[in-house]
Amino acid sequence: MAVTVMQSPFIVLDEEYTIVEVGPSAEGGFGPLAGQNLWECFPGSECLFRPYYEKARRSGQPEEFVQFYNGHVARIRAEPQGDLLALYWEQLHVIDALTLDALGASIARTIELLDHEQAVALRQETRSSLHVIKGGA
Amino acid sequence: MTAAANRRSDAPSSDLYVVLDSEDRISHVSAGLQDELGRWSGHVLWDHLPGARGVYGPCFEEARASGQSVECVVFYAGRVKRLTAIPASDGLAVHVERLVTLDVRTLGTLAESLGEIAEVLGAQEPVQHDSRAPASLRALP
Repeated sequence: MAVTVMQSPFIVLDEEYTIVEVGPSAEGGFGPLAGQNLWECFPGSECLFRPYYEKARRSGQPEEFVQFYNGHVARIRAEPQGDLLALYWEQLHVIDALTLDALGASIARTIELLDHEQAVALRQETRSSLHVIKGGA
Repeated sequence: MTAAANRRSDAPSSDLYVVLDSEDRISHVSAGLQDELGRWSGHVLWDHLPGARGVYGPCFEEARASGQSVECVVFYAGRVKRLTAIPASDGLAVHVERLVTLDVRTLGTLAESLGEIAEVLGAQEPVQHDSRAPASLRALP
């Protein structure tokens, strides 16, 4: 998986998905979030993000992925820190819906980013599987 | 609306309208559009709506040139709208009816709203747009 530059956490969550810390970029963009439930703050996002967060918690390892939500394509890294989960967020693209031409180009870019990420994830998965197979042989 | 256009019997009944002078300066904004355009009264419309001239302009020009009401369906700033441009002695009244809004919450809602947009625009005159868009729309879930 690509190594990305995400220096400060976007938000930090407890086990119940309550936001316990808010980074400057999140606070600047969304206002006060601390103490609120993540899924209530971002309606419709649970099915898109929670599986990755659960995987990170289960494995104890950081999980990095690219997701589309609310007009943004973002790379997210979910990093377990004890009982907490720190989320790092890097914006890759924002849908431009000003004109039809801009929208067409923006959607093409969105698909390109998501396709690329899917291909990277597939390659990573294949490498991991191959490693397991070789190790077992 | 203080314009004679207000008295036109063929004016749509919507509260979303703006009146432009001959240089496309905003001379009146209805209550329904105050939040979006009210602060720009007296300003040239195009100065505050980037890229809009190529979208709205032809409809306005046709109405002025013909002296008749002209209706068009266009996409701008995430919305498909039906515009009715009504020329009058003291300006051009432009009525706006919002038809479809792009919903970018998830890829699913994006694809669904793009389908609605394509349907509405497809029912109109062919629209020139980026050739990558149709393929992109099909690629979404």
